[in-house]
Amino acid sequence: MGNIIPWNFSVIPEYFFVFREAAFYTLQITTLGILVGLIIGLLVAFGKIAKNRVISHISGAYIFVIRGTPLLLQLFIIYYGLTTIVTVPPFPSAVFALGIHNGAYIAEIFRGSIISIDYGQMEAARSLGMPYTRAMRRIILPQAFKRAVPPLGNQFIIALKDSSLASTIAVPELLLRGRQLGSSTFMYMEMLIIVALWYLLMTSVLSYVVHRIEKRLRVSDRDQT
Amino acid sequence: MTRLKDPFLRIEHLEKWYGDLHVLRDISLDIAEKEVVVVIGASGSGKSTLLRCINFLERAQKGKFFLDGVKIKPAEKELNRVRQEMGMVFQHFNLFPHMSVLKNVMEGPVHVKGLPKKEARDIAHRLLDKVGLDDKADTYPAMLSGGQKQRVAIARALAMEPRVMLFDEPTSALDPELVGDVLKVMEDLGREGMTMVVVTHEMWFAKEAADRVIFMDDGVILEEATPEKMFTAPEHERTQAFLKQILPQE
Repeated sequence: MGNIIPWNFSVIPEYFFVFREAAFYTLQITTLGILVGLIIGLLVAFGKIAKNRVISHISGAYIFVIRGTPLLLQLFIIYYGLTTIVTVPPFPSAVFALGIHNGAYIAEIFRGSIISIDYGQMEAARSLGMPYTRAMRRIILPQAFKRAVPPLGNQFIIALKDSSLASTIAVPELLLRGRQLGSSTFMYMEMLIIVALWYLLMTSVLSYVVHRIEKRLRVSDRDQT
Repeated sequence: MTRLKDPFLRIEHLEKWYGDLHVLRDISLDIAEKEVVVVIGASGSGKSTLLRCINFLERAQKGKFFLDGVKIKPAEKELNRVRQEMGMVFQHFNLFPHMSVLKNVMEGPVHVKGLPKKEARDIAHRLLDKVGLDDKADTYPAMLSGGQKQRVAIARALAMEPRVMLFDEPTSALDPELVGDVLKVMEDLGREGMTMVVVTHEMWFAKEAADRVIFMDDGVILEEATPEKMFTAPEHERTQAFLKQILPQE
């Protein structure tokens, strides 16, 4: 065809839903990865705040190692590196790598938002005779969680995009399917554009949800800046 | 140093350092039941630290504390119990911003004392009414003025039915026109027989409501006297100098 543009974008609607299954994989890796990340993050955040030196150092070391090395490397360590003792299939490898990686970042988000709460809040609770852990649960954490929502949302979006690294270990998620279909149809650019559209769709929905949650949580400080 | 026969609160030989800084030096103090004690002194004299040591928000390195003649053991569990007997009002209010005004006041009764919600709600409404803010029960702290916040904070502390109230510069963060309402509530409280220790720069309050005024300087109690004596004939030079600075000249 004598087109100026060497690509045929009119095939996009036709192929868009071919990626449905792949998109579902991306969504699953991301959701499960975030879930694992939240659990690890919460534990490590409390670990780092803990008065117990050993626990706080272990938590600190975890954050140091995980944040200081690439996610792709962590994924390969689980998928290839561990094979001598245990074979982890591609999908769980991706979930754990994403979860472990995000756990370190989420821990720092939680820790940051907890220590950002004015110390007077803890003092006020303690002055009522409230024990430390209860004051943490009733007074500090609800406020800290509110502050954690925007950076968490940001982190979730990063996690969604990072799930594309699973394509390197044969998880049939969006990016891998894009490459496969690109080479089989000789329409690389078209397929990659479809992949991009899927990511944009999912990140938009995620941003919107986070935005709604933020808005709902803001009820109590309408007048605060 | 005035030694009372049956003090409600007794502090013996309190010493507090922040690193090398010796902020409280051998403080001994008796407070009688229903007494209103006002602590004055320049900033850095240790008066706020003294107050915060009384309910153990700050841990003193040395010293003994007695409540009703019983020595307070500085163990977590015991302190949680003792703190319930001592209400604390902070300079910066420290209301819980994620809870409505009513919930702020109910928090202690429900989640420390374990009272049923209905009972706690009644207590909270009664106390909010007492500080003149029952109409604000359902709003959030962010919507209140500083003076209103501080009155809610007083209600929150009172909801635990404490036997002594500690006030840490309760009006220092307020706009001048809002100070009066807060002091009025405190004055009423003293008149009703609440035992109070008040750290403040409001000499008007000291004159009107105090049974005893304590002047702190450089970590020691330099002088204590009735308000009349303290404000008309202070003994120490430092006290005279401080009062001269802070009192309006007629």
